[in-house]
Amino acid sequence: MRARLPLAIVALASLGAVFVLLPVLALFVRAPWSRLGGALSGVGASTALRLSIEVSLAATAISVAVGIPLAWVLARGEFPGRNLLRAAVVLPIVLPPVVGGVGLLAALGRSGLVGRWLHDALGIQLTFTTGGAVVATTFVSMPLVVLATEAGLRGLDLRYERAAAAMGGSPWYVFRRVTLPMVAPQLAAGAVLTWARALGEFGATITFAGNLAGRTETMPLAVFQARQVDPGGAIVLSLILVVISVSVLVALGGRLTGIR
Amino acid sequence: MVLEAGIEVRRGDVIVAAAFSAGDRETLALLGPNGAGKTTIVESIAGLIPAAHGHILLDGVPIHGLPPERRPIGMAFQDGVLFPHLSVLENVAFPVRARGARSRAARAHALDLLGRLAPGIDPGAKPGALSGGERQRVALARALAGAPRVLVLDEPLSAVDVSARAELRALLRRTLRDFDGPRLLVTHDPVEAMTLADRVVVLEDGRITQTGTPEEIRDAPRTRYAADLVGMNLFAGRLTPLEAGAGALETADGVVTVPWPDGVAVDPLDDVLATLGPADVSLHAARPEGSARNVVQGVVEEVAILGDRARVRLDSSPRLVAEITTGSAGRMAIQTGTLVWASFKAVEVHLMVEPGAADTL
Repeated sequence: MRARLPLAIVALASLGAVFVLLPVLALFVRAPWSRLGGALSGVGASTALRLSIEVSLAATAISVAVGIPLAWVLARGEFPGRNLLRAAVVLPIVLPPVVGGVGLLAALGRSGLVGRWLHDALGIQLTFTTGGAVVATTFVSMPLVVLATEAGLRGLDLRYERAAAAMGGSPWYVFRRVTLPMVAPQLAAGAVLTWARALGEFGATITFAGNLAGRTETMPLAVFQARQVDPGGAIVLSLILVVISVSVLVALGGRLTGIR
Repeated sequence: MVLEAGIEVRRGDVIVAAAFSAGDRETLALLGPNGAGKTTIVESIAGLIPAAHGHILLDGVPIHGLPPERRPIGMAFQDGVLFPHLSVLENVAFPVRARGARSRAARAHALDLLGRLAPGIDPGAKPGALSGGERQRVALARALAGAPRVLVLDEPLSAVDVSARAELRALLRRTLRDFDGPRLLVTHDPVEAMTLADRVVVLEDGRITQTGTPEEIRDAPRTRYAADLVGMNLFAGRLTPLEAGAGALETADGVVTVPWPDGVAVDPLDDVLATLGPADVSLHAARPEGSARNVVQGVVEEVAILGDRARVRLDSSPRLVAEITTGSAGRMAIQTGTLVWASFKAVEVHLMVEPGAADTL
């Protein structure tokens, strides 16, 4: 039997759904469909899109490479300050991205804590470079893959790893052939969320890496830039991001949220 | 190859302590109720749980300092603990590959083992698709795959359907017999211990309460637990049909009348096991009248007192252990050398029909 929902719930749910859908619908309605091609080239959509994809994929790759060990340490490590470390790892999720950008400037900017040394000793400058955009995006999006993987590791039955050790597996072999494959679903979900977050990153990037077309101007920055000179172009760029995000969400179905 | 262990392991607030040795080609059962610490002990021997104190020696060489992956111990875990993301074949090949063998050689070795221990199981199947008995067969193959020098089986029959248990028990018996080295069998099932082990270590509340051959423990159990579970009469032999609903179990030293097992074709069956609780055997000074189908006479060989119960061993045919109150033992003046009658009802005999004997598999 289908559940009979109280009218009040249906009404509030409808309100919520409309609230979420209305801006997206408005983008479609207000898009300058008649001069789509001109609007796209006018705002440099292809350059920004390519840069966005490059930056978000690089940030995801770094997040996964560093995030898996971090998740492992948080899930399995027993050391003082573990909860503090977890709070620090999660911080970028709750921090305004612009604050993250300011922090990155203070740390890695040309005259920053570490950035000064990077610049003087190694000649590396991150601000106003694509590398800087990747750093800012990674900072903001990495917590998602760490949290998802840590949850997977915590849910893993320790008997499998113990059995693998008893079967002659060295710690590294056990990690590679048992632990990692068994948390692969959570890791993949976390990586996708990280990538989606990276694709939409704005505040930390513009603060730390600036807004330079072809170098740091990813899609969200291009939308922001276009909005001041060409509102129609901004809508077209926004629509592109909407289409990409919706495609990914639909392709993954309920796997991200664990609901099937 | 001899395994000697004397260890103390902390598990929560409890300290599990055990000292025992298992000789070359000897099957040692660790028997005890759930929670007694049996698994803790074998996992400590395998290096999965650190021991607080003690030593584990293999032919006199200490292995207690080695990490688990370097201890030459093959373990079949309770419930199998097969890797769910790997196929049956990859599971069995795991110990070989973990020790650095090439994938191809490891798979060939695994296929060979599976062919012997788990024929009829698709090597490409995932463990999730297998029955409890099938999983245990794969776990057994995996335990042997790394060519261990000590074999450890932890509750190999506990997750197995009753219907598949007899066949698997026969396979276990054959596998244990053929394994060249010490073998440890963890079980809470006395019949498993009595039928598969050469010696039994009884473990209760983290302490060893008795060590001995199955016969020694049956004849003179030292604790209530051992008396209740291990101290059973065990009959093994050929079962032939009698008149309706009954059968004759022909053991090596006498015949026992038993009820014919439900759902089993009325044909002679080899290698049938049966148990009889000692408390279900009554003793009489004169030949008893009554409905009991099994009546035998014998001389008392030994009387062991445990609390207010007396366990009386008879040299009857078949040999029996009866448990009576010390009061009635006193009234009947039972002591070593007394000639008594023993009787028990056919329905008190519990049959474990085991089609397919150990050596026919």
